[in-house]
Amino acid sequence: MTHLLEMADITKRFPGIVALNDVSFAVQAGTIHGLVGENGAGKSTLMKILSGTYPAGTYEGAIRLHGKTLHLHTAADALEQGIGIVPQETSVIDQLTVAENVVVGKWLQPGGLLVSQSAIRHTVRNFLEEYDITLDPAISVSRLTTAQKQLVMIARALYRKPSVLILDEPTSSLAIDEIERLFASLNVLRQKGVTTVFITHKLTEIFELTDRTTVLRDGEVAGEFDRSEYDQALIIAAMVGRRIENLYPTRHSPIGADEVLRVAHLTVPHPTIANRNIVEDVSFSLRRGEILGLAGLVGSGRSETVNAIIGRTAYSGTISVFGQSVSIRSPADAKRAGIALVTEDRKRDGFLPNLEIRPNTTLHSLPQVTRRGLMDVSAERRLATEAVARFNIKAQSIEQMVVSLSGGNQQKVILAKVLMDNPQILFLDEPTKGIDIGAKNEIYKLMLDLVAQGISIIMISSELPELLAMCDRFVVLAEGKVADEFLRLDADEHRVMLAATRARSQITQAAHASASELTA
Amino acid sequence: MAVAATKSENRPRLGTRTTAVFRRLFSVPEVGVLIPLIAFALIFYLVNPTFLSPANITTMLRAVAYIGIIAIGMTFLLITGAFDLSVGATAGLCAIVCSYAMVNLSWPIPLAVLAGVLTGALVGLVNGFVVLKLGVPAFITTLGMLNIAKGITYLISKGYTIYPLPEPVGVFGEAEPFGTSWAVVIFVLMAIAAAFVATRTSYGRKLYVVGGNPEVARLAGINPARIQLSGFVLVSVCAGIAGMLLMSRIATGQPTIGLGWELNVIAGVVIGGVSLFGGSGSVVGAVIGLLIMQVVTSGLVISNVDPYWQTVAIGLIMIVAVAIDILRRKSKSAA
Repeated sequence: MTHLLEMADITKRFPGIVALNDVSFAVQAGTIHGLVGENGAGKSTLMKILSGTYPAGTYEGAIRLHGKTLHLHTAADALEQGIGIVPQETSVIDQLTVAENVVVGKWLQPGGLLVSQSAIRHTVRNFLEEYDITLDPAISVSRLTTAQKQLVMIARALYRKPSVLILDEPTSSLAIDEIERLFASLNVLRQKGVTTVFITHKLTEIFELTDRTTVLRDGEVAGEFDRSEYDQALIIAAMVGRRIENLYPTRHSPIGADEVLRVAHLTVPHPTIANRNIVEDVSFSLRRGEILGLAGLVGSGRSETVNAIIGRTAYSGTISVFGQSVSIRSPADAKRAGIALVTEDRKRDGFLPNLEIRPNTTLHSLPQVTRRGLMDVSAERRLATEAVARFNIKAQSIEQMVVSLSGGNQQKVILAKVLMDNPQILFLDEPTKGIDIGAKNEIYKLMLDLVAQGISIIMISSELPELLAMCDRFVVLAEGKVADEFLRLDADEHRVMLAATRARSQITQAAHASASELTA
Repeated sequence: MAVAATKSENRPRLGTRTTAVFRRLFSVPEVGVLIPLIAFALIFYLVNPTFLSPANITTMLRAVAYIGIIAIGMTFLLITGAFDLSVGATAGLCAIVCSYAMVNLSWPIPLAVLAGVLTGALVGLVNGFVVLKLGVPAFITTLGMLNIAKGITYLISKGYTIYPLPEPVGVFGEAEPFGTSWAVVIFVLMAIAAAFVATRTSYGRKLYVVGGNPEVARLAGINPARIQLSGFVLVSVCAGIAGMLLMSRIATGQPTIGLGWELNVIAGVVIGGVSLFGGSGSVVGAVIGLLIMQVVTSGLVISNVDPYWQTVAIGLIMIVAVAIDILRRKSKSAA
């Protein structure tokens, strides 16, 4: 059996650690090959070898394409030799058009001396049609959705006519419907004979899309599965190395009767578009010890809702805490009212990367560690040490930099920080994004501990199974409005998706109707 | 499979233990700048042993005091993530306001000094308001303020030196407490106080949090604008104090006081490891950075090198210092 791409016995060492140990796998031409593993399993190290970021000679083993051994020294080398990598972070130039973004770096036509916009647009239009990619080459990239930007990046890689296309976690910032559209595009590419390596940590994507899958764990190949052998339990066991019993723990504590938070007619203006609201007339309530799930697609106004309540953005509407109307104009106001937020993007606004664990954990509780304006160093050390133990943060000491921790442990530091201030109402915006299954399980257990203590939680998550498993009640947002509300009893994936997408189609229909009225 | 997991987890710990002492030593930023300070001092001492004579050390301290006082305020402001180019001009303005009040308005000395300090505070408030409320970048705002303050200085003084100042002013400037000058004493006291505030008070902690990530600070209930405003006011007041101290030293109100100080202040502080991007640095580091600059300038003079090389050397050291800082950051985030 001949393979298009072969990674043979790859071993990559860093000082004191073996990142990849004797990893081999082979990709057959015209297939989508899955590469799955938890964070830290070695997926990105492997990609960096394949993209020339770690040049030939810094690792052992061989990369063979079409049976020929490659010696890659730079990222440009990899591109030249036919390896088209689409990195995880979208790296498009917002100010340029789709066409310019696709050809970027390959501006000139063969034999040309000057950059010709019209020629570029023409070539790219033909190219996009050839691959059935529905993008307008003339449109500015700033007007595209995240999913469309992802497509631009794929088009950019394809434009170089690579032998193999490598997608590194392409769905991590996409909503469910956008993922479906991306998958449709990838299926078309497969029919056209494009070979793809698809890296992910989501099992459902592996099952839906791939022909064969290699599982990585701790830098080694932990299993290889053909589509015919796909089995959820087997692949999870290979990924994690042990069986996780009860990924989602069951709630035993009762929900309180009293209402701790009531939001009425919350409206948040759109941050960039005038005369439009990103959240419109949203009302809901939260009971003591309840976990309320805010569901909806990315961009439906979920994060904007909690960010407004916490006072990060301007809003209109009324907020009552424990039956009393409160005016929240800044996060400081929310803090006084007992409301806390764990933000969606922990790297952007979750922690202080240039400070240690200790000051990060006490950040929301400075009054607890100061006496008349002076820091009480021993009290701070004690509180930080307690937090590290309570939240099971794996670190060498409380003086370790937070940036050097794993994603899951960083998230635990943020939770420790927020909870040290004893909030009564907690907003968790994508609390398990990009962390390993073990840490996820710990966060779920923590959530149940908190509600057992009478703390109320609003949870936002793009991973529907997690949201369905953890929440007691759901509010589904669509286009900034409440589209549906129901209890756990009545909840299933179908109902959430229906509510989340139905409103959108209704709104587009309404827009079409008014447009046709105008023309008539 | 479980064996493989424990192996890879244990290895880095074994590796670090042997080098832990060194790594910890070098991860303290002050140590990183202390080594070049000692190295430069030793080199110039070997070239000319009078370099480390008590007289020369005193001279160097006297020279560094004025800029040093401003550098303390600048360190705070830089830690909060902002910066100020107008400090030199502010120093000149405060000195001229103080001189004018004493000579032309015949105000008593304490009142004139207060006027100088308040002038500094006002400049800081205006800078802070324009940067934080109107959102004009600090670079533009304070560059504009540099010109405005310089212009007002010349408008008040009509371009002439204001003298004679009341006698006690000159006496204060000439005095040699502890064999140095009042400026040095004030600088040292302020440095000690500032180091304490930065590391041991909640205000100090807030400086680092705001500079590290203003959004994280906001979520913690801190008002980033208020903290940054305090930094702007502080550095301008420090500039005013430094300007008036030099005024008393030369016993005249010269409109050229503070000319070009802003770049020396920023160079010294940055050499000392205070990040231009906010969130990190220390008062001790900034003071060492300033001392490095002073040692190199004085050392070149004492070694009979063409004085024009001094500025070249300062420029070189500043770039090398920041390059080292960035490399250290990179290795830290890679580890």
